[in-house]
Amino acid sequence: MSEEKNNGGNLIDGSPIKRRDFFRKIGTALAGASIAAVGVGGATKVKGNRKSDLYWQIDHEKCIQCGRCETSCVMPVSAVRCMHANKVCGYCDLCGGYYRTNAKELNTAAENMLCPTGAISRKFVEEPYFEYTIDEALCNGCGKCVKGCSSFGNGSLFLQVRQELCLNCNECNIAKVCPSGAISRVSYEEAYKFKDHA
Amino acid sequence: MKRFLTSLGLLPLAGFLAGAVDRFPRPDFESGYQYPEYSYAVPNEMLWDIIDVSVLLILLGIVTWALFKKRTKGPILAVSIVSVGYFGFFRGGCVCSIGSIQNVALAFADPSYSLPIAVFLFFIIPIVFAFLFGRVFCAGVCPFGALQDLVNVKNYRLSRAVTGALSIIPWIYLAFALLYALTRTRFIICKFDPFIGIFRMGGDIGVIGFGILLLLMSVFTGRPFCRFLCPYGAILGLFSRVSVFKAEITPKKCISCDLCHDSCPVDAIKAPYGNKTGETPVEGVKRIVVYMAVLPVLMLAGALIMRWSSPDLARANSEVRLYEMVTAYEAAMDAEMEPEVEAFYSQGRNLGELEASKDAVLRSFRLYSTLAGILIGLVIGLKLLEMSLKRGRKEYEIDYASCVGCAKCFDYCPQNKALAKASVQNPETDR
Repeated sequence: MSEEKNNGGNLIDGSPIKRRDFFRKIGTALAGASIAAVGVGGATKVKGNRKSDLYWQIDHEKCIQCGRCETSCVMPVSAVRCMHANKVCGYCDLCGGYYRTNAKELNTAAENMLCPTGAISRKFVEEPYFEYTIDEALCNGCGKCVKGCSSFGNGSLFLQVRQELCLNCNECNIAKVCPSGAISRVSYEEAYKFKDHA
Repeated sequence: MKRFLTSLGLLPLAGFLAGAVDRFPRPDFESGYQYPEYSYAVPNEMLWDIIDVSVLLILLGIVTWALFKKRTKGPILAVSIVSVGYFGFFRGGCVCSIGSIQNVALAFADPSYSLPIAVFLFFIIPIVFAFLFGRVFCAGVCPFGALQDLVNVKNYRLSRAVTGALSIIPWIYLAFALLYALTRTRFIICKFDPFIGIFRMGGDIGVIGFGILLLLMSVFTGRPFCRFLCPYGAILGLFSRVSVFKAEITPKKCISCDLCHDSCPVDAIKAPYGNKTGETPVEGVKRIVVYMAVLPVLMLAGALIMRWSSPDLARANSEVRLYEMVTAYEAAMDAEMEPEVEAFYSQGRNLGELEASKDAVLRSFRLYSTLAGILIGLVIGLKLLEMSLKRGRKEYEIDYASCVGCAKCFDYCPQNKALAKASVQNPETDR
């Protein structure tokens, strides 16, 4: 410390190098102190939530199926997929998530199907029930079927971020454009918000 | 695919019925139908966090060793390739230290925001290394810097004035990034990240185009992003300027061959310079005092301009935009309903509460834009001050604030080469 003071005193002697060294030492001390402050401060901010806020996920209760999940994800094909809660489904023949509302005939002709990628298929179970299945390789997360099912059916279809597809961006792009603020970070336990869970 | 490998576990899609709409009763199956069972893999993000931070530390260690012990750029080149491959293409560029500024700032300003530990470590570890050894993170650990360095062929030097003017941009970018992060509007560093689209091979076409343009530029001039855009590099520069240990080009005597100066991609090596302005010390002091007096004026001007434009800047915020949409919709009820407005009504929010939250956003915008304006004014003032200081130099000097530790100068220095040769031929001597 006393040495630094001496260097500072050299100002009068016209020795700029030592003066510069003195300022540099002050700078180093300031930099070290600021790192310590930010380090301690930051450590208190991360404490206690090590396991929460790990994954992005959609709250299907807030989702209004605007269709932006399909287009706004940074992935070429969105990480959002439609899921189906079979235990909520009514297994209807006339399914609001399967057929278009103005379908001319109830068959699998493209003009009658709601899903633009043909990702929904159905299988006859017994009169009058059909089991619906989503092919997630084809689904692009547009949410059209979800809208149809929520409007006319039990609401068993819902959109979710598929965690193994999600890049886990620092700030989720679709969370920012979501009109209803349905997307937020969740903990491991809530990595999926299933519809047939409590 | 990769993430299946380390999945923490499977969450089964099964459970009991609750909160459903039940327009149609659940079917009573007579044929003994069983509900299908689904389960979904959940990647272990905690494990990935640990891997990422470990890779970061290892790469930083290798660069530090290469700069201080090995004194050659070979290992740094290898680190660059690993970094571009791992942090860039494999991990998709997230999380990165540059973006972490926003998370850390937000965590300090807003107690309700929880800072992910990996993000905090990505913020603080490179700064600690910069404080100890200089910008070793920039050298090749940062995939953005590494990518630009890998494509760099030729260094066309920009003039001192142009470099000086452009090097203010990172600070202005930082000021805006902090403003938009602290008001919880948008992480603009993440949104306008020029290289992430290249790493992910997808994304906003405009931003990718900008990234490609930057890469083309970095073929001809060293690291345009690092020097003229990167806000994290600007912060690291502050710590690097006063770092505890400093890399030297050669431990031997400089022979003033100018090769290192020529090789530096970021113009961090300053050639000897005789101050011939003939200014007496008193005149110099007077000039500095005048510039010092200008500094507060610039800060005040910045603060006023930014405060004045804060309502316009705030329009990027979703609450402010929603307020505009809802009032526009209520003014003309026949207009088509935007999804935001639809969600606003379906969530049962009312205009009074929205107006209150919009006003809160506007208030925080007013505060933080004023502070951002002060920062911008300060940076411009300090840059003017720095550029007007005319110090003479007898020898080649490294400007540690801009040195990114790429180690190119080591391999150009003939004294270093002589050293390496001598130690190969005669390992006992010349230590």
